[in-house]
Amino acid sequence: MAVCIAVIAKENYPLYIRSIPTENELKFHYTVHTSLDVVDEKISAMGKALVDQRELYLGLLYPTEDYKVYGYVTNSKVKFVMVVDSSNTALRDNEIRSMFRKLHNSYTDVMCNPFYNPGDCIHSRAFDNMVTSMMMQVC
Amino acid sequence: MSRQAGRGTESKKMSSELFTLTYGALVTQLCKDYENDEDVNKQLDKMGYNIGVRLIEDFLARSNVGRCHDFRETADVIAKVAFKMYLGITPSITNWSPAGDEFSLILENNPLVDFVELPDNHSSLIYSNLLCGVLRGALEMVRLHFSPRKGGGVVEVLAGNENLEPSADISTHPLVQVCGLHDFSCCESMSRAK
Repeated sequence: MAVCIAVIAKENYPLYIRSIPTENELKFHYTVHTSLDVVDEKISAMGKALVDQRELYLGLLYPTEDYKVYGYVTNSKVKFVMVVDSSNTALRDNEIRSMFRKLHNSYTDVMCNPFYNPGDCIHSRAFDNMVTSMMMQVC
Repeated sequence: MSRQAGRGTESKKMSSELFTLTYGALVTQLCKDYENDEDVNKQLDKMGYNIGVRLIEDFLARSNVGRCHDFRETADVIAKVAFKMYLGITPSITNWSPAGDEFSLILENNPLVDFVELPDNHSSLIYSNLLCGVLRGALEMVRLHFSPRKGGGVVEVLAGNENLEPSADISTHPLVQVCGLHDFSCCESMSRAK
């Protein structure tokens, strides 16, 4: 259901980015890149309230003609960005939230792998599989 | 010394994540320090051996197991008492040799490898080789000889590493460790030093 999933490091460089229509990859990279400004804006706007509530889900960042972009930021300021097809109206906010939670758990497992150095690009089969399954779901 | 005072036979709880991550840090540091995987395996085995020769004393003192009368009983004690006590798991005992002097221990949920994905450039690393070392050390002290099984060796399947699966029947386990244990000696020497 998601067409593109990206993990962005604290310093705003991509740790992981995958999109389903591979021929149009650059467009998604661009979309994700633009969304980072909105993420930053949201974080600074919500500021303290966000920290107090421990609410990590940022909600819809912005809709484009064909896609909707959702964001999620961990307490360590790692960002997850998910691009979803707008034609998929069945997708509820709750489902997006649970998908992000799944992504976050999987990311935590990657971080716990002793062979992974924090800050490197993610080359994990388990993480790959999880992302693929999230993209395949009810496509 | 005061630390020892409260120790009884019951096992104490500790965070398995902390344990797993500590072991992970140890192995990755060894990988940085040594150039090839063989050396890392050897080093892990050596460390395990040093743990094992000490651990057996602790085990005998705390577990209250008596003499083992035959080799099958020994296998049971290792799997059901020793592994349960120190790692909280019970490996299964399979692949008895026809003569009954060799068997395999299969670790179905090895706590050491919870998050581990072996990178491609470490394909010959035996991640949990420390455990083999511990067994070797501990069993040597009670005059049993441990060696990884001939031919089979130690086979590990780490999470997501499908291509390393040794055979279909055990492929469902995230980690399969096959070790052999040779009974070198006759029954008398199997008795535990009390």
